[in-house]
Amino acid sequence: MEDFEQELKYALARKEQPPSLEAKVFASIARDASARKLSWRWEALAASVILVAGLGAQHAHAVRERVAGEAAKAHLRLALQVTVTELSKIQRTVRASTEDE
Amino acid sequence: MPTAGSATEAQAEAASDVTFAEVLRANQSSVFSLAYHFLRDRGAAEEVAQDVFLRLYRKIDDIENAKHLTFWLRKVTSHRCIDYVRRRGSQCTIALEDTAEPPAIEQHGDPLLSRRLRHLIATLPEKPRMVMVLRYQEDLTPEEISDVLEMPVRTVKSHLQRSLAILREKIERSMGEIR
Repeated sequence: MEDFEQELKYALARKEQPPSLEAKVFASIARDASARKLSWRWEALAASVILVAGLGAQHAHAVRERVAGEAAKAHLRLALQVTVTELSKIQRTVRASTEDE
Repeated sequence: MPTAGSATEAQAEAASDVTFAEVLRANQSSVFSLAYHFLRDRGAAEEVAQDVFLRLYRKIDDIENAKHLTFWLRKVTSHRCIDYVRRRGSQCTIALEDTAEPPAIEQHGDPLLSRRLRHLIATLPEKPRMVMVLRYQEDLTPEEISDVLEMPVRTVKSHLQRSLAILREKIERSMGEIR
């Protein structure tokens, strides 16, 4: 290796780290861990809210479907009643005309 | 009340903290020096080193062996240093001559020439500067630097040749001025 490259090695020799570095690393790890815990709690809370909202929406949808089903059933019942009444009228008319003959 | 499971977890966590502390102690000088020689700012180098070790703590389970650890530390430190400079951009206001140098672990050579060389290396663009630091601080080959910086070997060699030529020329000129 040339002298110049050796001088570069000397110039870029490793330096002593500040004595506070180790303590600062452990402090940042502790901060990060508590921030992650807090973030995990918020995520759990948000997930619960989404779950409750989802269940609520599902329940509301089921209620709407039940109401719509009952309304359809009532309409059908009314239609059947009307049909029965009309058929009775026709039957009476037919019977009256048969008796006249 | 702690359960048997949580006690085992706590023990495992304590054991991993001991291992991490050993890794930190063994590598902090290398990581700090890499950042310091690149950034030429003690506070910034400490900040980068702190961030690198925090990332290592999160990823410690992915580290396979001592060789992988050294490679991972050099790679993450190099990339974090380059990101730091790019993020800081034009806000760089540190007067290089005024910053207090951290002491070298072993002092060799001419201290005045070493100081002048460090100052000149700091004026190189980011990538060639990191190539120089990895080559002469960490004693890496161009192939190893190419892996760390994810760049072709021929680019590493060309950065080395160009940087050496620039530094030689500048140092000769400045030494001539001194004489």
